[in-house]
Amino acid sequence: MLIQLNFKSGLPVYLQIVEQVKAAIASGILRPGESLPSIRPLAEDLRINRNTVAKAYAELENQGVIETAAGKGSFIKDSQTPYRKEVRRQLLAGAVDAAIVQAYHLQFTPAEVLELVRDRLGAFEQKNPGHALKN
Amino acid sequence: MNQNEPVIEIKDLVRKYGREDAVNGLSLTVEPGKCYGFFGRNGAGKTTTIRCLLNLLRPTTGHIRLFGRDPARDEADLKARLAYVPDQVAFYPWMTVAETLEYLGSFRKVWNQDKLHLLLDQFQLDHRKKAGQLSKGQKVQLALVAAVCAEPELLILDEPTSGLDPIVRREFIQTVIGAYQESDPGRRTIFVSTHLISEFEGLIDQFTILEKGRAVMTLEADAARQTFKRIRARFAEDPPVIDLPGLLEARQAGRQVELIVRSAGQPEKELAQTYRPQECVVEALTLEEIFVAALKPKRMPNEATMA
Repeated sequence: MLIQLNFKSGLPVYLQIVEQVKAAIASGILRPGESLPSIRPLAEDLRINRNTVAKAYAELENQGVIETAAGKGSFIKDSQTPYRKEVRRQLLAGAVDAAIVQAYHLQFTPAEVLELVRDRLGAFEQKNPGHALKN
Repeated sequence: MNQNEPVIEIKDLVRKYGREDAVNGLSLTVEPGKCYGFFGRNGAGKTTTIRCLLNLLRPTTGHIRLFGRDPARDEADLKARLAYVPDQVAFYPWMTVAETLEYLGSFRKVWNQDKLHLLLDQFQLDHRKKAGQLSKGQKVQLALVAAVCAEPELLILDEPTSGLDPIVRREFIQTVIGAYQESDPGRRTIFVSTHLISEFEGLIDQFTILEKGRAVMTLEADAARQTFKRIRARFAEDPPVIDLPGLLEARQAGRQVELIVRSAGQPEKELAQTYRPQECVVEALTLEEIFVAALKPKRMPNEATMA
């Protein structure tokens, strides 16, 4: 997978890596069992401190997204998320809140926001067949 | 040594040249494993500070500790634990690259030959070439090879990439990340002084902006990018005169306004609620833009339009 940092996003660098890995899994670019690049080449490639990459991988491990085998590297775990539903709900709510703030600035009505969400869900399913959100 | 003891600790450093204050009350702390950016314009006092760290200059007043010890008292011990790449590297011109490295290595307890050969290969440095015939870029590369092979706990870089071409700069930074941080990255600390900030954007964990020998600002890089924002707003009519907490700069063109704000909160939300723009976009400032904003005198739109 290719990670691209955006220093204008205001998001801490390690979190950008965390989110991009999670997005790559959600869209099927990374599959369970596949490995992440090791820390040194990724740090060199992105020209960031190795400790930042290490911090991102530790966070992914904490969240149960990857597992690290000593000497072998980091692998994508099966998508069985270890979080309880309530915690997962909170995580998603944070992202939705950010979108709502943005919607406010861009002056959307609630109905328009909901319609856009449906629209985007459809687009996601079309772009990533087999990775649709599960009912 | 305590594992979490600061690698560099500077308190109230003052260094005068005659009556001139080159450094005027500087304090900063560098934690192990961090890459610390030391930003300032030419003449801000960066090199003087580094020379004080290395005991090449004695502070007029103030207090410096490296690994918890006084560089004036434990100079030899401390220098064994650090490496320094100055802005002007100089070698004996009659020595070959191989001889230069052998000479420099003779002062070191640790000297990683594997790394040395790997890096010479990578930089395509001919070990038979005389140091006097190397280009500026190759001299810096040679200095970096010597610094990295000694596997120091602290790497001090003074304007390392100025005057280098973009490819050499890239390689330089990748080498610092790759070869230098190779083993035990938790104890590989980098202190880099530069005004070419964008190149080090991703590598910097924390930084101090120095101006006229004083720290204008010390922040974590991620926190800085979360605090300094550029807001672009478009209004239906002529824009109002905007005042927000932390407003540093405002520009106006027609119905558009661009604001630079330093605020940990959500200034864009406040702007939207108070002034009701039609559209409002926010982005973070890069470290280089923060540097410029920190050193620029505050400017407001009414002054700008009057001018």
